[in-house]
Amino acid sequence: MMDNKYIQALIDPMWGKNPISVQMLGICSSLAVTVQMKTAIVMGLSLTFVVAISNLLISVLRKWIPKNIRIIAELCIMASLVIVADEFLKAFFYGISKQLSVFVGLIITNCILMGRAETFALGNPPLLSFIDGIGNGLGYTLVLTVVSFIRELFGSGTLLGFQVIPDIAYSAGYQNMGFMQLAPAAFIIIGLWVWLQKTWLRPSR
Amino acid sequence: MYKTIIFSLVMCLCCSLMLTFTATWLKPYQLQNILIDQQTNILKSVGLIDSHKIYSDADISDMYNRSIKCLWLDPSGRVVPTQNTTGSNLLHIYLYMKNDEIEAYAIPIDTRGLWGTISGYLALKNDGQTIIGFTVYKHFETPGLGGEIEKTWFQKNFQNKKIVNQQGQFVSVGVAKGKADQSVSIDHHVNFVDGISGATLTGKYLTEGFKEILAEYEPVSIQFRQQRASYLTQGGSCKQ
Repeated sequence: MMDNKYIQALIDPMWGKNPISVQMLGICSSLAVTVQMKTAIVMGLSLTFVVAISNLLISVLRKWIPKNIRIIAELCIMASLVIVADEFLKAFFYGISKQLSVFVGLIITNCILMGRAETFALGNPPLLSFIDGIGNGLGYTLVLTVVSFIRELFGSGTLLGFQVIPDIAYSAGYQNMGFMQLAPAAFIIIGLWVWLQKTWLRPSR
Repeated sequence: MYKTIIFSLVMCLCCSLMLTFTATWLKPYQLQNILIDQQTNILKSVGLIDSHKIYSDADISDMYNRSIKCLWLDPSGRVVPTQNTTGSNLLHIYLYMKNDEIEAYAIPIDTRGLWGTISGYLALKNDGQTIIGFTVYKHFETPGLGGEIEKTWFQKNFQNKKIVNQQGQFVSVGVAKGKADQSVSIDHHVNFVDGISGATLTGKYLTEGFKEILAEYEPVSIQFRQQRASYLTQGGSCKQ
């Protein structure tokens, strides 16, 4: 029973309670950073780091945080973690951090963070909250990875920066879909995902 | 009430300690990255970087040390020895050396953009008039609009443009509003690159910046036009 709870906290947000496709949180950044797989994965992992640690810290402090400054306290913790993640990327993944530009800093405005802190971390013990954070972060990363896979493959003919569509195809008249490089493409892909998932899940309900 | 105040003070203290620690710990790595990025951009502006290849940090600094020489010049274009580089109105150029001859020179461009300073390099051929490349390594323009200045399609347009008009007079290079062949007369095509739609102001500031900075470097460019500035090879060098 104990183990079950933890496994559920980890697995649920990946599919059945996915932050993007089911909870509809964090859509904004998933439009912006999914042109290439590399940026999408780094963004997903940065968010996983921030949401897991912030869930952990907020849960540890949940009995101490005064109710009247609850939101400010949560924001303060998250903002610090976001800066740490940003500085870390600047030090070790400089090229990617330049491409992600403002979006790492904007993790702070990602609704997943606030959502998980308010609905989960404030009412659950630290370890469980930490795992919930990891689960949600990975759920977000999963959607980002799949969306960016489709966008990079059809938009630029590459995957993780390596060309996968052979030159022969191009000389035979194949063209990259410019539309895939634009933000609305992500909207449509996520929309289709949500639709597929909803029809898929219906029988089990 | 007291609890709230004490809690916030302690929390702020802890957060700031954490940030200070991270910033201090990571600073050297970040500075190293910025240096490599600058060197990459200088190499890219003079056309030494193949955009399809992936270079390691060591490759970059190795290539940089082999082919790029950095010089301080006084406002009239004379070389200033490295020792007294304290003057604020000194000019700074990067020479691309090939077989002990100057192939090209890169001018640092730091100019106002819409939201903050745009930093990059404009490289000119040793004839002192033809642009061989332009790169941007730092900017705060809107992603997707003015932010396009960091993209290859925009930067590629600078290649083979001139900073002089057909009579050989200095006119600088500018960013047109919209497509260059539609918005400027045919005599000036060689001095304008295509603008970015939705980023008229970024283009305007860049044009102004180029004009101001290139005018400042005009004494150097004149030397190149007249005698390919071979005198510069005897000069000192500078550290970044």
